[in-house]
Amino acid sequence: MADAEQKLSEFIDRLNADLQPEEDEHTTKSDELRELYRTVRKVRRLREPTMPEEDFAERLTDAVSRRVSRSKPHAKRKTWGWMTAAAAVAAALVLLLNMPMPWGKTNIVKAMAEAFREVNAYHGVLEIVAKTADGESRLQGKLDIWADKNGRYYVKSLDGSQQGLVTVNDGKNKWQIQPQDREVHLFPALPDAYRVQFEIGHEIEEAERALSASVIGEDVIAGRTASILEVTPEGGLPYRIWVDAETRLPLRKQTAMVHAIQYTFTYSQIEFADAIPEPLLTYRLPDGFTEIAANPEQIVLDAKEAETIVGFAPQLPEDLPSGYVLDRIAVVPDELRVKAYYTNDSQNSHVIVTQGRAAGKLQPAPDAVIGETGDSAVEVLPPAAGDGSVGSIRWQQDGTEWAVLGNQPVDRLAALAETFMTAPLQLPPADNRTKPIAEVEYDLAIEKADQQNADAGSSVWKLDPVFTAQVFVSLQMMPDGVVGDYPIALEDLVVASNNGVQAIVEVRDESAPIARVYVERVVRQDDTGIWTVVGYDPRTP
Amino acid sequence: MAAAEPGSIEELCSKTWKPLYLFIYFKVQNRQEAEDITQETYVKAMSHLLSGKVAPNKYIAFLKTVAHNLLRDGWRRKQRRGTTVDIDAIHPQDYATEGPDESSIQRQTLEDALMRLNLEQRTVIELRIIQGYSVAETARFMNVTEEAVRVKQHRALRKLADLLKNYD
Repeated sequence: MADAEQKLSEFIDRLNADLQPEEDEHTTKSDELRELYRTVRKVRRLREPTMPEEDFAERLTDAVSRRVSRSKPHAKRKTWGWMTAAAAVAAALVLLLNMPMPWGKTNIVKAMAEAFREVNAYHGVLEIVAKTADGESRLQGKLDIWADKNGRYYVKSLDGSQQGLVTVNDGKNKWQIQPQDREVHLFPALPDAYRVQFEIGHEIEEAERALSASVIGEDVIAGRTASILEVTPEGGLPYRIWVDAETRLPLRKQTAMVHAIQYTFTYSQIEFADAIPEPLLTYRLPDGFTEIAANPEQIVLDAKEAETIVGFAPQLPEDLPSGYVLDRIAVVPDELRVKAYYTNDSQNSHVIVTQGRAAGKLQPAPDAVIGETGDSAVEVLPPAAGDGSVGSIRWQQDGTEWAVLGNQPVDRLAALAETFMTAPLQLPPADNRTKPIAEVEYDLAIEKADQQNADAGSSVWKLDPVFTAQVFVSLQMMPDGVVGDYPIALEDLVVASNNGVQAIVEVRDESAPIARVYVERVVRQDDTGIWTVVGYDPRTP
Repeated sequence: MAAAEPGSIEELCSKTWKPLYLFIYFKVQNRQEAEDITQETYVKAMSHLLSGKVAPNKYIAFLKTVAHNLLRDGWRRKQRRGTTVDIDAIHPQDYATEGPDESSIQRQTLEDALMRLNLEQRTVIELRIIQGYSVAETARFMNVTEEAVRVKQHRALRKLADLLKNYD
């Protein structure tokens, strides 16, 4: 069943990317999937079709003419002479910009970080172009973007099937204006899965964190001279960013070609400002539009008002870690939960603390780091490295379930969480490895390839230690390949320990020949890293 | 245009590609396959069109029929060994005639069926398939795990497929 769910999801992902699915109703052997694949295509008919690029008719005529044996003149070969001089200039620039700094970073990455420190907000028009392995390019989208360093943004789609779509997050609320449906959808500001594409601050952080970043040439983008920087992330494929020679800020990013598709993001215009204009961050329901409230929260004045709605007095300690200020309190009436919003301007962060009656025992997520407070387990989900995503810490005490979530590293979230805990928070040490009885050899090159697949949205099951263990144990039981359902159910696999890098999964099905599976993030040690089986304990009778 | 003259491939393609492409896109729902099958359709149909066997006012219907047959016969499955549509076996009375009315009816049927799903099922289909969000984004919006999104979308589509059977 899990395999069918995964395949169905991959099918949807491929169609969403406007690509031919790897498996479809004509190639699957499953009658059920055949029916579901057809249903997905039917549902997609409610969307507007994606049209080819403008030159499609021309390319079509050429291809058809060639294939029905009508000759077409070949384009003349380009001359390369002029490139020799350009290459010499580029080589000189490479030498100049790659002079190492004392601490090992190249000049240009440091220059970008310094330049960005001076920026409060920016406004740009971003063009996104997708190129296939055949060399075909098409404009995927064109966005009008305003973003600031506090994570607020205003993004308007200027082109394509989503033309006119506006997405705004003002730090307190998020809304999306959908002109085609004449609707405005409201969402909580956090957690916010939406990411401003090619967000400049994020790109600079990525370059700083990368294994290597070096200048490989020079180019002109929208009339501006730019250095081309090749960035190799840990465990990922190299990609390129074009850095404006004058402002020292990124203008373009080109991803690696993954699964025969490569994306190029280019700011065709960019300007810097003190702040995003207030009208853009001010909510207003356009005339004739319907408001769709996807935000179940209700803002309350104080703890007393919250208590009258949820039936318990929320705890709101005044002694908070340095810099944190209570911004507002909300309740989720349907869930009888209180949400306290804290800000920390010095760290540009927003943190939410939720509290509500515990319903059953805490069931930590499979990929969580497991800590302790008193006798209770604590689920710790670190934010994905550097992309401003949200991490969380969740635990139960005295019949109440708590969660602290925010765009902060775990140690800062932990400091805030401890002000609500009755016992100190104990996190597992980074290296608490227990040796398995039997070691499993792995090929790092294969694991790196799997990591790249997972980065591109395939084989995502390897991001889950429990799934990884399930596949391993199942293949030990069915060495010729799993037919039908896995012989070991997911609910019989339990994470016994997880420090974020190494984890042990217990197999609680007595019929399995394996009692414990040892998995480790051998390629990348953050929550984007895949898990690899490194050993196991056989079950003893 | 009378019986098409050799050399008029460009004119023929430029005048007919758009309705053909939209017809194919409607069926396959992705640009990559729609472009490939559009090209394959012209390659299969061109000599027949150029021979003057099809009246110009039937070009688009004829092309749609060729495309329909390519799709019906599992175009994808046959990519490696070549397609086998028997052009001469297509008669004018068999030309594909699916038009805007049929599309509207299908759309209405689908919307009716979607309204019979519960809110959670509608939401996961709306976010994943109609809005085109990733599993991770949908998980965040719905405040559930990514695994839960895959389970929910599977169940929602199962239910939708069963409902659509009742309309067939």
